[in-house]
Amino acid sequence: MPSGVQMTAEDIARETIVVDGVGKTYGGGTHALTALTDVSFTVREGEFATLVGPSGCGKSTLLQILAGLVPASSGLVAIDGRMVTGPSPDKIGVMFQDAWLLPWKTAAENVEFPLVLRKVKPAERRKRALPLLELVGLASFADRYPDELSGGMRQRVAIARCLVQEPRVLLMDEPFAALDEQTRTRMGNELLQIWEKSGGTVVFVTHGLTEAIYLADTVFVMGTRPGRIIERIAVPLSRPRSIDMIGSESFGRLRNHIWHLIAEVRT
Amino acid sequence: MTGWIARLVPLVFVLALAALWEMASRFGLVDPRLLPPFSDVVRTLGVLLQDARFRGDLGFTLSEIAVAFAVVGPLGLGVGFFLGENILAYRMFAPALNLLLSIPKSIFLPVFIFAFGIGFLQKVIFAITLAFFIVVLSGIAAARLVPPGLAMAARSFGATRRQIYLQIYLPAMEPLIIEGLRMGLIFTVTGVLIAEMYGSPRGIGRDLFAWGEMLQMRELFAGVLLVVVVTIICNELLRSIEEFRKSCRRGFR
Repeated sequence: MPSGVQMTAEDIARETIVVDGVGKTYGGGTHALTALTDVSFTVREGEFATLVGPSGCGKSTLLQILAGLVPASSGLVAIDGRMVTGPSPDKIGVMFQDAWLLPWKTAAENVEFPLVLRKVKPAERRKRALPLLELVGLASFADRYPDELSGGMRQRVAIARCLVQEPRVLLMDEPFAALDEQTRTRMGNELLQIWEKSGGTVVFVTHGLTEAIYLADTVFVMGTRPGRIIERIAVPLSRPRSIDMIGSESFGRLRNHIWHLIAEVRT
Repeated sequence: MTGWIARLVPLVFVLALAALWEMASRFGLVDPRLLPPFSDVVRTLGVLLQDARFRGDLGFTLSEIAVAFAVVGPLGLGVGFFLGENILAYRMFAPALNLLLSIPKSIFLPVFIFAFGIGFLQKVIFAITLAFFIVVLSGIAAARLVPPGLAMAARSFGATRRQIYLQIYLPAMEPLIIEGLRMGLIFTVTGVLIAEMYGSPRGIGRDLFAWGEMLQMRELFAGVLLVVVVTIICNELLRSIEEFRKSCRRGFR
């Protein structure tokens, strides 16, 4: 979808995520700071899209706009044919760089927390939380507190919590950025398995080029000052992905291509 | 085992202090007219507690403390939470707050007497003034303790503003809230006693001051002992609540 072209109602209904002409400006007058300008893209049902770019390109802001946590200054966002005007926890699960678990609740209680907010009965909550903890490999840690878990485990709990309301769209803001490389790769693979099983739609923000390509069907490369999308790349790798693909020539070429895109825009 | 010993040490310390006091006075290391032996003081306290007038003064002082604390606790924490949450308000009021905090409030006691007389109300208002700022500071620190990301994450699961305050902020701030109340209580007690000593028709502070003036050292030390014991009990009570909550809840590391 080229930018500047008006979306029709039909377009909005067909795609799972529609972003059209989104801009974000902080402050006003001479101190106004433009974080995003004229961002337009679409993500179809079941697609795994990554947003990659240097720090300060507004990718986190864009994700928060998609999640309805921050309002856009201009343009529109529609998810599942509905305009995004605020958080919609039944449709969208959001993950951040920090797991943001409640330190006074156990792993299982943290997974249940979104259901507590919706006043779901305790027995029902437990019944929905436990299979998710099992899915992320933490069944035996259900009664542990966050400070007893490693960084990777905490993000696994966050994934389970994200899935507990059975959202069709996952928005992830550098969820594995704070983890060491081995854990990051393993978590990426686990995320892909979960995604393949559930068939949901994912938008994943990262500054890691390898991670961006490895996970995605489509990579959106973002440039900075002001933040915008500079290229949409369809990743030509087959599924399921395997670590060996990272060493392949086509992967390396793609990685170099993105590297140059980002480097050129910066200078 | 070590926890048990740690609990025992303060008790041993207090007993040693009492024994030292007793011996210093009995063996003439200090003038017993200035520092009567510990056992005499305890006996005098027993006699005083039988006395209806003294019990009346005690009740008067305790109710001043209770009223002042009941006002300053919620008020200070509320204002502190508002300032901690609201950056603009904080920028506007923080300099004034720091200024007022650094001023010794007791120099205004004559003004308080002109404004509110020398009765119950004046003691309560002075104690509130003394304790207010320290409780506000605890409230600000408590609000700042909650990482904004935690509230943002909760918002993404569909939490309402009310749910965020009750289910995220309140439990996250609990340790500092209890700590703030504890400091508030200490300052409230101090405020009431100072105001009573300065000028009051009734109350323990007034009694202490009068006994000091008349060199009634037995009664004076008995009163001091009572205040010390009551304050320590209140303080330990709040602290044990804090410890208890800490053991069943986890905070941020």
